[in-house]
Amino acid sequence: MVGRRLGRAADAVALLLVLGVLILPVAWVLLSAFKMRTEVAALPPRLFFTPTLENFVELFGRGDFLDYTWNSLVVSGGSTLFGLALGFPAAFAMAWHRMTWPATATLFARMAPGTLFPLPWLVMFTEVGLTGTRTVLVLTHAVITLPVTIWVLLPYLEGVPRELIESAQIDGARQDQVLLRVVLPVVVPGVVVAAILSFVFSWNYFLFALVLSGLESKTAIVASFNFVGEGVTNWGALMAAAVVIAAPPLILAFLIQRRLVGGLVAGAVKG
Amino acid sequence: MPSFSSGASYRWMVLPALVFAGTMIVFPFGYAVWLSLSEVSLGQPPRMNGGANYARLIGDPDFWNGLRLTLWLFAVSLSAQLLIGTWLGLLLARSRRAQGLVRTILVSPFMLPPVVIGMMAIVILDPSFGIANWILAQLGLPPRLWLSDPDTVILTVAAIDTWQWTPFVALIVMGGYLSLPHEVFEAAEVDGAQGWQRFHRITLPLLGPTIVTAAVLRSVDLLRFFDVIYITTQGGPGTASMTLNILAFRRGFEFFDLGYASAMMVTLSTIVFGSVLAFSRLRRAVTW
Repeated sequence: MVGRRLGRAADAVALLLVLGVLILPVAWVLLSAFKMRTEVAALPPRLFFTPTLENFVELFGRGDFLDYTWNSLVVSGGSTLFGLALGFPAAFAMAWHRMTWPATATLFARMAPGTLFPLPWLVMFTEVGLTGTRTVLVLTHAVITLPVTIWVLLPYLEGVPRELIESAQIDGARQDQVLLRVVLPVVVPGVVVAAILSFVFSWNYFLFALVLSGLESKTAIVASFNFVGEGVTNWGALMAAAVVIAAPPLILAFLIQRRLVGGLVAGAVKG
Repeated sequence: MPSFSSGASYRWMVLPALVFAGTMIVFPFGYAVWLSLSEVSLGQPPRMNGGANYARLIGDPDFWNGLRLTLWLFAVSLSAQLLIGTWLGLLLARSRRAQGLVRTILVSPFMLPPVVIGMMAIVILDPSFGIANWILAQLGLPPRLWLSDPDTVILTVAAIDTWQWTPFVALIVMGGYLSLPHEVFEAAEVDGAQGWQRFHRITLPLLGPTIVTAAVLRSVDLLRFFDVIYITTQGGPGTASMTLNILAFRRGFEFFDLGYASAMMVTLSTIVFGSVLAFSRLRRAVTW
């Protein structure tokens, strides 16, 4: 009995330690973003300070960071919608007809190293005169969102009762009506998870925008990376940028936290 | 006449996704393979040169260095994440605490953009102004160069990735454990299996498939690991963290050595797909 209680106490201490290691670096960035320029790099660190928005004012005062954040929103939102528009019907057909090979193919796509694609894409998009546009980023990020959408939606769609669809067919519903009025309402929770994961993956993705974005289409992620490359000495503004680009994925992840890991694992289990 | 029967075919709905994948994934992949077999110089059309690029790989010390670093990073980070992740996952399952705020904290590291992870590392691990060395100094330990010491930079990168992804492994393991049939554990308790014996003989074999799933996901990411390395070190100092992926990227986009870079990328893809296949064999072997 005593042994068990001791075990519990040890577990609690271990868990607290782990959580501390995980949260402290994040908390450090968050605190730094709200410190005065002179306090950010001060050692010993100032734990108590008057929070200031100075860094955020400076960050957005540079003018273009707001544009880059907008680009990120457009690209992530666009590629999420694109992924859903193509992925939802595809996943439905795959679930209904129990097709397996397209699922395996998308898994393949999900696992290819990202560096493989930008070179050929650069050539392709130059050919059609799209380089440097946000359209390019929406399309390339859809390479990430489409497989995610399909894999997240498949289990939800496999759970839709076949009778529901068959009776709609008997009532004379067209195929698009079956898809949008009968199936969609039943799998809304799955669509939400797929949309959120797609958005977060697209928002966070670095490589494609690094190579393929132009001055006009640069995302906030790439702009933040450029800050690092410029060797900025102003850590305050750097940390403010980190907070701005970290906020959307963290907030969205929070909304689906119970289904998050399942969504991320989807696909690896069957492949 | 519209088809009433359940035989109605929705197969065409796969088509748009397939056309997209063909244009954006299959064609570029084929193009990369073709480039890898060609001599490409700017201003001239690529022309096939047999396997010359691949032959060049064999004699290139940078390639072997990159391969060694890639495999080292893969082996060390994967082991660390699976070991700590399994331990943490079982701890979470036992204490049933992975709710609310605890779950938020666990999920945050791997939901953060890699660029943020990189910025965080640069600021915290800065040799002069970073908090990490200040803490070491308070503990009476010598400062470290973290990201600029050629001997240990790859270890620092492995540690950063382990920090970021171990909670993910832990949550997978926790989920797997909680879905196990609990009669097995009760029976084991009745039979007197305790502690290590219980873990080794019962828990671990039952968790096998779950752990392999986590291993597949982490392996793919580790073999093609790019973002955080590129942001923090760009492969340096020197070539001390120049993994295959970083090397291929820099050859392609900084030196425009397109044919050779493509050969490296195709080689890396082969390694990734090969390891996924190996793991799926392994999973079949450990599935009960």
